[in-house]
Amino acid sequence: NSAFFRSIFRVLPLLLVLSPVNSSSCAMGNRTTEIRVKYENILSHDIDELVNMSAEYRDRCCKNKKHENSKVFFCNDTQEIESLQSMACNMLRFFHKQKISKSFRWKAALVSCGTLQLLQCKCERHKKEK
Amino acid sequence: MLRMTQTSTVLSIFILFLHTTFGESGCTSADGDGTFGDDEPDNFDIDCFSQLEFRDSYSSLTCNFTEPPPHNTNYTLALCTKEDSNYVCFNMEKQEDAYFLQFTDILSNKDICMDSEMKKRVCRSLVVTDIVKPEVPFDINITYQKEANEYLIHYSTPHSWKKYLKDKLIHQIAYRQEEGTWKTIESPYLQVKLLGKNLENDASYEVKVRSQPNGDYFKGMWSEWSTSKSFRTTREQHSRESSSSVVVVIFSILGFMLSIVMIVLIVTFWENRIKPAVWPNLPDHKKTLEQLCKKPKNNFDISFNPESFGYVHIHKVDGIRAKAELENFLQPSTAPETNIPEKFRSGSDQKMIPAMTDKSKLNLPVTYGGIWPAEALHRLLGTSQLAVTEGNCSSSTYEVCHSNGVPLCDDAFNLSSAPPLDPSHQPRPEPLNGDTASQMLPTSEMRSPNNEEAYVTMSSFYKIQ
Repeated sequence: NSAFFRSIFRVLPLLLVLSPVNSSSCAMGNRTTEIRVKYENILSHDIDELVNMSAEYRDRCCKNKKHENSKVFFCNDTQEIESLQSMACNMLRFFHKQKISKSFRWKAALVSCGTLQLLQCKCERHKKEK
Repeated sequence: MLRMTQTSTVLSIFILFLHTTFGESGCTSADGDGTFGDDEPDNFDIDCFSQLEFRDSYSSLTCNFTEPPPHNTNYTLALCTKEDSNYVCFNMEKQEDAYFLQFTDILSNKDICMDSEMKKRVCRSLVVTDIVKPEVPFDINITYQKEANEYLIHYSTPHSWKKYLKDKLIHQIAYRQEEGTWKTIESPYLQVKLLGKNLENDASYEVKVRSQPNGDYFKGMWSEWSTSKSFRTTREQHSRESSSSVVVVIFSILGFMLSIVMIVLIVTFWENRIKPAVWPNLPDHKKTLEQLCKKPKNNFDISFNPESFGYVHIHKVDGIRAKAELENFLQPSTAPETNIPEKFRSGSDQKMIPAMTDKSKLNLPVTYGGIWPAEALHRLLGTSQLAVTEGNCSSSTYEVCHSNGVPLCDDAFNLSSAPPLDPSHQPRPEPLNGDTASQMLPTSEMRSPNNEEAYVTMSSFYKIQ
C-alpha cells in the first residue's frame, strides 16, 4: 500500500511539469515586426486617446492617499513583455473598481485588451503583483 | 503489490497523455486548436468589407453572398475570434441581402464562418484591416483663381477627425464636360487644381470624389462616389491665351527682322567703316608723304635732266650775296634796314626764281649763280646800284661793285667789312649746301656790299609768294 501511494506521488510532479497549460502567460513568439506594425497603426492611437481622456482624472488620482496602486504600472527593464502584460491586467482590475466615467473605463479596457491581444497574453487570476 | 504499482503507473501516464491530447478547449476540431479551418474546404463565396470607426470606437463588417444561396436553406454567418483558450463567435445580423456586424477589436485575427442546416460550419480566415472600405467624401468646393487661371477643387472626408485612416487615404477626383468622358486625378491631399488651359471656355463641368486606403498598412477598396458638383468655366481664358500668344508672335517677328537688318548693315559697312574702326590700318609713310605734299601741277617741271631746262637761265651759286647788302649798297638812304635777303640754298638745284620784293626792295630775278641777266643789270644800273654776286671776281666783275670802293672780290675772308646779316632770316642750310654756303660766306663776306651778288633765301621766297 505504501508503495502504491509513493508511485502516485512520483507521477504527480511529472503531471505538473507536463501540464498542457503554458508555463508563460504570453505566447509572443517571434512576432516582433507584426507587433510593431500593429502598435504603430492601431494601438498607439488608442493609447493617445486614453491619455487625452485621462487628463481630466489626473487630479483625482493624485488625491488618492493610497499610492500602492502606482506600483502596478511600473515597467521593468529587460522585461518589457511581462511589464506590458502586468500593466494591462492591472489596468483592467484597477479601473473596474474606480468610480470613473463609462467612456473612460471603456477606453481603458479597450487599450488593455488590445495590448494583451497584441502580445497574445492573458491575465493570471491568482497571480499577485509584487 | 508490484502489479498494482505497475497498473497505477500506466494509468497515470495514460491520463496524462489524454489530457494533453484534448488540450485546453475541449473542442473536437480537426486541427486541434478549436478552429474550423481544416474541417471542410472553404467553398462558400462571400464578399466582405470592413469600416473602421463606423460609430465611435466600433468598427463594422458587412458581407454578402456572391452566389445567392438556395431559398429553402438558412445560412448563418459568424465572426469568430480566438481568445485565450476559447473560440468566441458572434453571429452577423442579416439585413436584406447582406450580413452586418459591429465589433471593437481589429487587432486579432478573425475567421468568418458560415453555418447552415445542411452542412457543418465552414470558416475562412479574415483580416479586417485588409478589406477596409473608407467612408464617402463630401462637401466639394470649386474656386477659380483668376491670376493663375486654375480651378481649385477642395473636398472633405470623415476620416480627417478619426484615428486610424487619417492621412492614410488616396482620393480620386473625376471630372467631365456635360455628359462627356470622365477624366480622373488621384491625390493624397484634400485638394487638387485643374488648369484652365486644359478646360473648354464657357463650358459646364461635373466633379465627384472617392477614397481608398493607401496600402501602407490598411488595404481595401474604393469608397462610394460622392455627390457630384457642377461648375462653369470663364470666357476670359481664350482671350488671355490668344492675346499672350499674339504678343509672343509679334515680339518674335520683330526680333527676327532686327537681326536680319543688323546682319545686312554689318555686311554692307564692314569694309568701309567697321573694319577700319575696329582694326585700323597702319599708315604707310610713302602714302602719307604723298598726301602731305602738294600735288605738283601738270605743267610743273619735275626732272633732273639738265637738257629739259634749256630755257632756264642757270647761274652758278658762287658769290651769292644778301639782297639787303645789295640794296644798301645801291640805295643806302632809302632802305638801310630792309630785310636782308636770305641766302639761297646753293646746291645742285639751279633755278631761276623770280624775286618779288616790295617797294623797298628791288624786284629782280635772282639766281644762284649771282649772274644777273643783262637787262636786269642795266635796269638796276639805271635806278640804283646793286651788288650782284658773281661767282668769279674776275674781269667779269661789274662796275657796280667797284663803284663803292669796296672790294668785293677778295680772296681773304673779311667778315668785318661785310654788312651784318640778320641771323633770323637765315635759314639753316643743308649740310652740303651749308658747306657751300659757308664756303660762299667768306667769299661773300670778303666782298664788299658793292658785290652784285644777292642772297635769296627761302623766307624771302615765301614773302615773294
